[in-house]
Amino acid sequence: MKKSEICVIISIVIFIFSLAYITSLGGLGYLPPVDVRKLAQIYLASTYNPYQPTNTSSGYESVTAIIWDFRGLDTFFETAVFYGAIIASVAIYRGVEISSKKKSIGMSPIAKTVTRLSLILIPIVAASIAFHGHLTPGGGFQAGSVATVVIVLSIMVFGLRRLVQKGVTKPKILLLRSLGLIGIGLTAIGLVLAGLVIGVNAYIFQNQAKAMAEISYPMWIDDVLFGGSLLFFNIFEFVAVMAGFTLVLMLFSIEEEEVKKVIK
Amino acid sequence: MINEILVYVGEALVLIGVFCDIAASIGMLRFPNFYTRMHAATVGTIGGAVVPLIGVALMALGCDWLGTYRFFLAGASIVAGILIMLLAPVGTHVLALAAHRAGLAPKKPLVFDHLEEERARRND
Repeated sequence: MKKSEICVIISIVIFIFSLAYITSLGGLGYLPPVDVRKLAQIYLASTYNPYQPTNTSSGYESVTAIIWDFRGLDTFFETAVFYGAIIASVAIYRGVEISSKKKSIGMSPIAKTVTRLSLILIPIVAASIAFHGHLTPGGGFQAGSVATVVIVLSIMVFGLRRLVQKGVTKPKILLLRSLGLIGIGLTAIGLVLAGLVIGVNAYIFQNQAKAMAEISYPMWIDDVLFGGSLLFFNIFEFVAVMAGFTLVLMLFSIEEEEVKKVIK
Repeated sequence: MINEILVYVGEALVLIGVFCDIAASIGMLRFPNFYTRMHAATVGTIGGAVVPLIGVALMALGCDWLGTYRFFLAGASIVAGILIMLLAPVGTHVLALAAHRAGLAPKKPLVFDHLEEERARRND
């Protein structure tokens, strides 16, 4: 065995043992008690609480409730920043056309056949993550990221030009992206608009009824937990994130020669 | 009775998986070139991941004390197994094709290269 191989083995063993030691130690100094803490108790008590209709956010999943209800404005700002970043990349690539006249090459028939199968499966997984975001771990951003895998696979296996020939063009994706963000905005001010029409109090980013504002998004439809505004936020965020990532990936996979013709 | 048989068959499949994984890791270290090492890696994915997943499904079906959850476990394992069986060979195929086309992996020791002949025939 060479010296370098022995060094690699020794360093892996040291790494594993030190990681195990740190994990078992937990931390330095005084460790807080392991039972459920006050802050967690507050979140758990207000995430799903049918007995206090003014202090609940209508979904089982605490993380989604925190992201889209307790700190909804913050998440909206994050989404807007992401939107701005996408707009900036589109602005840099302005004038660059994806030529759909040339034939795309793609990979071997074996790869194409199996990719066609997985192109059906991945959107199903993504949709289940988005529509279950208020019930199980997941949500709009995660679902959008999963759905982007479809685009990555299509670009790699079938080729970018084939994607454009199939109708996935830049303006369409931009429209989808804008629709997602408009949907998030409308969901945020939806109850205020409804309150203006009916003539009652309402807040922006309000999900369930509060003490001074008695209108709310539906919590249950029949016997299905609907999740109020959480479901709408998740679906629109799913659309927005998917379209945003798709746009950036499509722009990045244009050949350098095509880009250099426009940007010098 | 049938439950015990299911659990024992499942455990046997997991043991086969352990053997395949060990064989694959030895192969990864000892085989001479890229393509044979890729063969070892595939033994690790099909023999060492799909077969144990089917074993886990059988074991879950044999455990009555899991209640209805045993069907969830078995279904998830079988679906994951089928997906790996579909997708892993394609990944290997694409990697091998790309390495062959780029000529980056040394083809030594080599007995017969059908793909090279096929490509030469197609280019004529």
